[in-house]
Amino acid sequence: MIVPTVEPSDEALAARAAAGDDSAFETLVSRYQGRIYRLACRLTSDTDAPDVLQETFLQLYRHLSSFRGESRFRTWLYRIASNAALMHRRAKARRPDASLEDFLPRFDEHGMHAATPAELQVAARADELLDRKVLAEKAREVIARLPDVYRDAFVLRDLEEIPTADVARTLGVEPATVRQRVHRARLMLRGYLSELVEVKS
Amino acid sequence: MTAVTCMSGVELLMDYLEGVLSSDVRATIEQHVAGCPRCTAFVASYCETPRILRRATETTIPADIETSLKAFLRARTSAFKQN
Repeated sequence: MIVPTVEPSDEALAARAAAGDDSAFETLVSRYQGRIYRLACRLTSDTDAPDVLQETFLQLYRHLSSFRGESRFRTWLYRIASNAALMHRRAKARRPDASLEDFLPRFDEHGMHAATPAELQVAARADELLDRKVLAEKAREVIARLPDVYRDAFVLRDLEEIPTADVARTLGVEPATVRQRVHRARLMLRGYLSELVEVKS
Repeated sequence: MTAVTCMSGVELLMDYLEGVLSSDVRATIEQHVAGCPRCTAFVASYCETPRILRRATETTIPADIETSLKAFLRARTSAFKQN
């Protein structure tokens, strides 16, 4: 008879790791290294992601004993990783913000969309209409061009799919501020995708 | 509330999707979008944008980066001493 093995929860592993069990720490690293790497790529760049990854797990190791289990382990780890990414980015020379304002939706004097329904819809099909590699490259570029506060909120809320309340805690702002920043980012990115598809066709 | 225009509706879209608007504001927005092909199209592309970019930025950790992470942690912690 095959007895199904139950994987220990993150919280159980964290407690064991905090008590000095290195194998529990190693399991947490292998469980999360891929996701933290992806988050680091989204918040910084492919070049900086390895440093952020290392810093995150070193911080995790050092602070395991302060994990109180008040939030889920994953939420807590993502907070460490986000802070490591933001610190890393802050330490580097500030890149100029290439404005994405041009991609915001336009309205006529009556507050009606200036574009046609077909033009407004097209961004929804960007992944069908564009080459996958081109889209991947353009996506990385445009996310890096977002003003930092929009980028952080958008990456955590929309790309990592972290609940708004947790993103708010991570970034130290109100949930309404997160919603406003994510909204602004979505508007710019939606407009950017439209343009990308239209230039291509 | 006063009638929704495309512009004022767009400003409330995120709050609408996150379920933080009052029911009467929700209803006014739904009524506008249902009768506005432009907003219907806009909402569709707005809602798809996160999914498209999430998929486009999906990535897996390269083997060499995984190896150097372990080496880094081995040097600075008591973990990863085996292998």
